[in-house]
Amino acid sequence: MSSPATLEVRELRKVFFPGTANEVVALNGIDLEVPAGQFVSIIGSNGSGKSTLLNAVAGTFPVSAGRIVLGGSDVTKQAEHVRSRMIGRVFQDPRAGTAPSMTIEENLSISLLRSQRSGLRRGVTNRRRQVMRVQLSRLGMGLEDRLKAGVNKLSGGQRQAMSLLMATIAEPSLLLLDEHTAALDPKVAATIMELTAAIVIERGLTTLMVTHNMELALRFGDRLIMMHAGRVVLDLDEQQKSTLKVGDLIEKFHEVAGEAFAVDRMLLE
Amino acid sequence: MQVIVSSALEQGLIYCFMVLGVFLTFRVLDFPDLTVDGSLPLGAAVTGALIVGGHSPLLATTAGVGAGLCAGLVTGCLHLLLKSGESDSTNYGPKLLAGILTMTALYTVNLRIMGRSNIPLLGVDTIFEKLGKLLSLTMIGWNVVLAVGALAIVVKYFLDWLLHTEFGLTLLATGDNEQMIRAMGTNTNFTRIVGLSLANGLVALSGSLVAQQQGFADVGMGIGTIVAGLASVIMGEVIFGLRSVSWVLFSVIGGSIVYRLLIAVSLRLGIAPTDLKLLTAALVVVALSIPTVRRKVVRS
Repeated sequence: MSSPATLEVRELRKVFFPGTANEVVALNGIDLEVPAGQFVSIIGSNGSGKSTLLNAVAGTFPVSAGRIVLGGSDVTKQAEHVRSRMIGRVFQDPRAGTAPSMTIEENLSISLLRSQRSGLRRGVTNRRRQVMRVQLSRLGMGLEDRLKAGVNKLSGGQRQAMSLLMATIAEPSLLLLDEHTAALDPKVAATIMELTAAIVIERGLTTLMVTHNMELALRFGDRLIMMHAGRVVLDLDEQQKSTLKVGDLIEKFHEVAGEAFAVDRMLLE
Repeated sequence: MQVIVSSALEQGLIYCFMVLGVFLTFRVLDFPDLTVDGSLPLGAAVTGALIVGGHSPLLATTAGVGAGLCAGLVTGCLHLLLKSGESDSTNYGPKLLAGILTMTALYTVNLRIMGRSNIPLLGVDTIFEKLGKLLSLTMIGWNVVLAVGALAIVVKYFLDWLLHTEFGLTLLATGDNEQMIRAMGTNTNFTRIVGLSLANGLVALSGSLVAQQQGFADVGMGIGTIVAGLASVIMGEVIFGLRSVSWVLFSVIGGSIVYRLLIAVSLRLGIAPTDLKLLTAALVVVALSIPTVRRKVVRS
């Protein structure tokens, strides 16, 4: 178990396919300091680099330049699975966060083991079952009575709720949410978002949430960041963003980015 | 009839370790591992060479298994070298190639170990004769079935235990959702290598026992192992079901026995032994295409 940590990103650059005709500068010098416990929403049009930023922090690929410091230690060169012990992640695809042919209790046991090395002790224990029952009952989906059910029997919303629980159950230093409600139907998406906010606030988790949905970004989180062409173009604190409407945000973008905004891509759901 | 049943049981149990290995790679790790065509004769070659060299059959069998573990390790490392940086678990190219390379290399290794293409093990003490002397029994027919059956049960419960440990859960998840388990802090390169190694150790155990039971090790005895293993796994799953990990391990052993029974009956019906590989391949094709065909029929 670890406690929420400060995230520092310094002059981060990521170039895909360098030196070829397909060269893409996905991150073009990102500077970001997120204090421990802050909940940051990140918006931006397609290709602005917001998902790339999350993946770079998670260590999915090596970065081209810059530094990533988590909880005071430089993790820039750390392998993905090592960093993952401190970082919880929820992906857009509800299928991505759980192992489908394994049971609910097996999946949650894996997530409870995240911060430690897995050994030859029994994986699913009664003590772990107790912890998961308590946590599952908070989802209000009745999953606590179906511990031995296969995850592939669950709906998309239930699977995403489980993904969220699995990402947060071992108290990560940092939580990364990559459009984690975008693939769900509106009602389920709203439930998952409320659940996310409740968990993040209760645990005081340092959180980065990427979203296409400007209303979500305005409503949730203590800070709002807008990205464009691999840079942070707008950075609003809680007070500044509390007075904003979606329309203002679009206008702000025009001001800062100074080019036509792909409104269609950012339309509210 | 009784002879057919007992010899099919014997064969099914001797080969069930190989089938468990194929189950581990194909089903648990989602890694179609072709190494097995080489690691089965590897187990036989190492055991045969050591027994003929005057070593104890127990040591020879253990060394055979050890060689299989190494073969799996090599395939795992080759896969690491061949796959491009970003991990895409559905990219089977590097997995297949890694297995093919090890399998091909093992042909030479096996010939080198044996020094020739065939080592007869008649008139020397095999592990079966040793056990027979120990228990004052003649190790033929049902006695072999019981002895190998006991070993199968031990191995089954070992795998059952392993797959229910913390490490076992990460092994299962590596084949089920690699992205998830990496995000949970598991080094899937490590779990995959351990799984491949273990699987090929099991395959080599079968090879070692086959050589000692049939009385020779032969460099060509591994041809078609992967297809026979797959056929056994599929038949076991279809006939006995997949209820849970513990259950499916039994199903797979059952599949191995049913497969050998089918072979024995085919031979009895007058099918030439050389035609069996084609039949087995056809069986796998039919079994694997049933879901696809059914879907097409339902749609139209």
